[in-house]
Amino acid sequence: MAESQPALQSLVAEFDDVDSVSAAARAVRDAGFQHFDVYSPFPIHGIERSMGLRATRLPWIVLGMGLTGTTLALFFQWWANAHDYPFKISAKPLFGIPANIPITFEFTVLLAAFGAFFGMLVLNRLPEHHNELFDNPRFRRATDDGFFLAVEARDARFDTRRTRELLQSFSKHPVVECHASTESRAFPIWVRAALAGAGALALLPFAGIVNARFRDATSPAFHLIKDMDSQPRYRAQAANPYFADGRAQRPDVAGAVAFDHFLTDPKTLTGRDGENFCGTIPLPVSDQTMLRGQQRFAVYCTPCHGQAGYGDGLVAQRAANLQEPNWVPPASLHDPVVRARAVGQIFDTIRNGVRTMPAYGRQIGIEDSWAIVAYVRALQRSQNATVEDVPPAERASLGTR
Amino acid sequence: MTASATTQAHLEEPYARPKLVEGAEDFGAVTQRVCGVLERPKPPRAWYIGLAISSSLTLLLFTMVVYLIATGVGVWGNNSPAFWGWGIVNFVFWVGIAHAGTLISAILFLLRQKWRTSINRAAEAMTLFAVCCAGLYPAIHVGRIWVAYWLFPFPNQMQMWPNFRSPLLWDVFAVSTYATVSALFWFMGLVPDLATLRDRSTTRLKQVIYGFFALGWRGSARHWQRFERAYLLLAALATPLVLSVHSVVSFDFAVSQVSGWHTTIFPPYFVAGAIFSGFAMVVTVMVPARELFGLKELVTIRHLENMNKVILATGSMVGLAYSTEFFIAWYGGNPYERFAFMNRAFGPYAWAYWIMIFCNVVAPQFFWSKKIRTSPWLMVGVAILVNVGMWFERFVIIVTSLARTYLPSNWGYFKPTWVDICTFAGTIGLFFTLFLLFCRFLPMVAIAEVKGVLPAAHAHPEHPKGGHDHG
Amino acid sequence: MSSQRTAVENLGARGRSWGRIALVLGIAGLALGLWLGSARGDGFRRFEHAWLVSCLFFLSLSLGALFFVIIQHLVRAGWSVVVRRVAEIVAANTLVTALLFAPLVVQLLRGDSSLWPWADANTVHGNPLLEGKAGFLEPRFFALRCVLYFGIWILLGRWLLRRSTEQDTAQDAKPTLALERRAAPAMVAYALSVNFGAFDILMTLEPTWASTIFGVCFFAGSVIGFFALSILLLRFLQARGFMRASVGVEHYHDLGKFLFAFVFFWGYVSFSQFMLIWYADMPEETFWFRERFHGTWANVSWVLLFGHFVLPFAALLSRHTKRALGVLAFLAVWMLCMHAVELFWLVMPTAEKDGALVSGMDAACFVAVGGIWFFALARLAGERSLVPVGDPRLPESLAFENS
Repeated sequence: MAESQPALQSLVAEFDDVDSVSAAARAVRDAGFQHFDVYSPFPIHGIERSMGLRATRLPWIVLGMGLTGTTLALFFQWWANAHDYPFKISAKPLFGIPANIPITFEFTVLLAAFGAFFGMLVLNRLPEHHNELFDNPRFRRATDDGFFLAVEARDARFDTRRTRELLQSFSKHPVVECHASTESRAFPIWVRAALAGAGALALLPFAGIVNARFRDATSPAFHLIKDMDSQPRYRAQAANPYFADGRAQRPDVAGAVAFDHFLTDPKTLTGRDGENFCGTIPLPVSDQTMLRGQQRFAVYCTPCHGQAGYGDGLVAQRAANLQEPNWVPPASLHDPVVRARAVGQIFDTIRNGVRTMPAYGRQIGIEDSWAIVAYVRALQRSQNATVEDVPPAERASLGTR
Repeated sequence: MTASATTQAHLEEPYARPKLVEGAEDFGAVTQRVCGVLERPKPPRAWYIGLAISSSLTLLLFTMVVYLIATGVGVWGNNSPAFWGWGIVNFVFWVGIAHAGTLISAILFLLRQKWRTSINRAAEAMTLFAVCCAGLYPAIHVGRIWVAYWLFPFPNQMQMWPNFRSPLLWDVFAVSTYATVSALFWFMGLVPDLATLRDRSTTRLKQVIYGFFALGWRGSARHWQRFERAYLLLAALATPLVLSVHSVVSFDFAVSQVSGWHTTIFPPYFVAGAIFSGFAMVVTVMVPARELFGLKELVTIRHLENMNKVILATGSMVGLAYSTEFFIAWYGGNPYERFAFMNRAFGPYAWAYWIMIFCNVVAPQFFWSKKIRTSPWLMVGVAILVNVGMWFERFVIIVTSLARTYLPSNWGYFKPTWVDICTFAGTIGLFFTLFLLFCRFLPMVAIAEVKGVLPAAHAHPEHPKGGHDHG
Repeated sequence: MSSQRTAVENLGARGRSWGRIALVLGIAGLALGLWLGSARGDGFRRFEHAWLVSCLFFLSLSLGALFFVIIQHLVRAGWSVVVRRVAEIVAANTLVTALLFAPLVVQLLRGDSSLWPWADANTVHGNPLLEGKAGFLEPRFFALRCVLYFGIWILLGRWLLRRSTEQDTAQDAKPTLALERRAAPAMVAYALSVNFGAFDILMTLEPTWASTIFGVCFFAGSVIGFFALSILLLRFLQARGFMRASVGVEHYHDLGKFLFAFVFFWGYVSFSQFMLIWYADMPEETFWFRERFHGTWANVSWVLLFGHFVLPFAALLSRHTKRALGVLAFLAVWMLCMHAVELFWLVMPTAEKDGALVSGMDAACFVAVGGIWFFALARLAGERSLVPVGDPRLPESLAFENS
């Protein structure tokens, strides 16, 4: 054979009907050939027996995929709803089989169907972008109304002359040779370039994600869709040309009165009686007032003044530990100077601050401030009490002391 | 023996099976007949008119979707008691239509109903297009369509997972699985036919495009063997899948405690209804399609008659389910159930109920008459009535129950807005646009499968069974 | 050509002798059952339940057969012709079941409410659910409906068998064409009667409970029972030399496929019923399942889940089990047992609240009804051909091959 002649791949016989191709297939099978194939425009019933083909193992692939789907779906539903993120809803068990059946079933079918379709393609080695058989223009009949039988040259029993005779004895058409393609089987360069380019482009979004994930950003995150995270709004001191005064923040309308604030007595509001601090609490004091005062004291005062008012709150302790040079220790409420102060002055201190103590007037309401004053008074008295302060009826319970 | 078989063949049924296709007797003629539709330079004028109408409606759909997203879901008539009523009605309607294709491909395949080969391709394509229309509704009803992927479980920064015990999530899995498997099934059946188109292509462009999707198919017997096995397995998988999808849709309603929704017959009854509506849609589109594209010999009157018989059977099943529901609502003694059903039949939506009864229960009974069953345009009339009736079935179930719930203070009367109506009209346009494009660019009839049922496709067996042959 | 391959075969004398054996067994079972039932001293309450289970079991086999025969004519099936006659005989065997069932209705009419509690005025009084349907659940009306249901079943079964037998000797296809033409209305009558019959006879045992799918569940179980019985009867007859030339592995394969399909269908409808009631969790419905998960009844429920659905589903999945006749016969026996368990599970919890108890009386009733039923079956088969030899589609059925 001449060197330029490409290798003989197979001998191809053409047939016009099912019976003749089946007869030829049986003859080729009976002659002991293994590597041969029949090509037809539709599946010929019983041809696998004529050719001596074994049953495909596709059902096992499908079964395996289906069972994988069942297992995965059951496990994942349990893991997600009962383990990783358990939450009770409509009194259903976290993992109750009846409610988990539908998804398990659907996923089983999905994976099994993938098994059937992709398993078929893989076993058939498809897609295949080129095959030598297509070089023969008559082979186009294989998808229309023609039937072909190709015996491959790699079969051990293949002998060009005798095989040709065998095939020719069944076929009215001339048996043709199919040679290995002279063209390169690789895709053309432009196809490969386009694929590579598309692949590179496809990586770009991932690169963007990696970039955003691992680099410090100086500008705010870019939102394609704003949802309600970042709505347009004006800041308090910003300008807004919509209003005549150009301010975004709107002042109260003239004559507006606060809806829930009816305290008008200057003593109650300021703690002063004319020039002097008042000596008595201007609001009625009850058990509720004391409890409220205790609770508010715990919230606002204890960080510095401490639970008992000795000026040993956690902030003060930490400042002392750090030996802060500029730290002015908070006063002990049991200092005689503080004890001697009028309630109005304590109230004033809470409202407006003193030395380094900030003003709490914006945070603590008028009534609450007086409640704290009442509690501070009780606290002071508790730390300097005598037996006489205990009601006579309960003195006995003090016992041996 | 040969003689007796031949004489029998001349007798009418039941001594011999009638031919599955008429006219086209050899393989080449089948190829020519089906591919001819795609290869003619211009489609018929009616095709252009149909496409103009349906694509205008599709444009309307896209406009409505954009308007919905830009403005918010308030443009739907959601603020009445039947929250999401319109969206759910149309979702269920389209999912139902989507059942015919897979039923024809899978169940009729398993039942060896060979007449299916002429209509299964078009019916499967319809399935996919109907699923597209159905899937649109859950996607757009969320308003913020760009977060529709939250329907699926995926690891997220909130470390949350969806509730797998909720029927709404079952729906997501069922419908997406159904869409995927139907698409695989459809595509797999298309591969050999795409190879036929590839081999007949006269231009390089067509050759490349059809060739790309034909995956290098060359009709090898080894390939066919695995192909047929895969087809059988997919059919066996798709059969329970078809049952499950509309059952899961019915679970959306039936697991609740809403009167008129919580009834155990819902799953099979919804499936029967879905097949009913899907077959009606196949008849509705196949009759004009076979007229237009000259496929009368492949899609014969007998095929259509068989479809109509299935419509009659499923329509009667639906009627049986209606009567069972009504009976048990009374028999069960629950006053709310009784009220829900009386309200359906005689309440403010009675007009819808009686339209439904007429179209779904009465109209298919016309198919007892062989005349109506076998005259193309009469059957289209009945099929359209059935489609209308099945739309109203969903409307009646969903809207009447929601508009009259346990709390009378919540009662109201649902009215769709113009956006609702235009969106639904748009989905019809989308469906027909896709179908018309499919008719023009893909083989409408499964070429290889039809060839497989021609008499010439059957080889004489290698070892004839003793004493009996095919004459 | 069919005449050569399928000579007319009938049971003849052997059928008569089998019938006599069955009848003797049945009468013995009846005597034993009555004796055990009276020994309980509960006014035959438990006996009536056991009798109902047995009657329903054999009735359901006929109903499954009826469905099979009608659907074969409806779709003009070709493959099934050789196995259809046996099904027709089973389907036509409902008169005997009606006679066996009748005493229960007679007892009801005489005011015995031990089976159907709604017949007791004291139970109904003060229960608004029952008072609301007292007009429907009324003994005489109930009896009338039973007559109607059984009438439909008897007429349908007899008619199908008669016309089919006529075809054996007919010169043309007229009987077959008549069967095909009337199959559709027959199916309508069948669907209505089975659906509402199941509601009436079975569901009203628990008169406050209602489930719309109940009839479909009963139907699915019946069809499973029939396919299992059909496989076994064919194996039995073939083992004794009948029908050897006509029925082959291909037909068993198809029967196996149908058995598989209905096992799946049964699982589907039963799961739907359970899941919907479980999920909605409404006490007026859940109590029915609570009873069936109470005490040892829970074990029976689990047996049903695995024995009636999971295991047979897995076993029948492969085409090899459907074609291995020994395995298929074993699975058929298994499914018949499971079908009996299912009916026991449907009926008996109303009588045995505390747990599942099977007694010798249950077995005796089963043998009694079964014996008499098989006696009638053998008589019905009698001199008839076991294969519809005149059927125009017989050649197709004989040549049938699964691809």
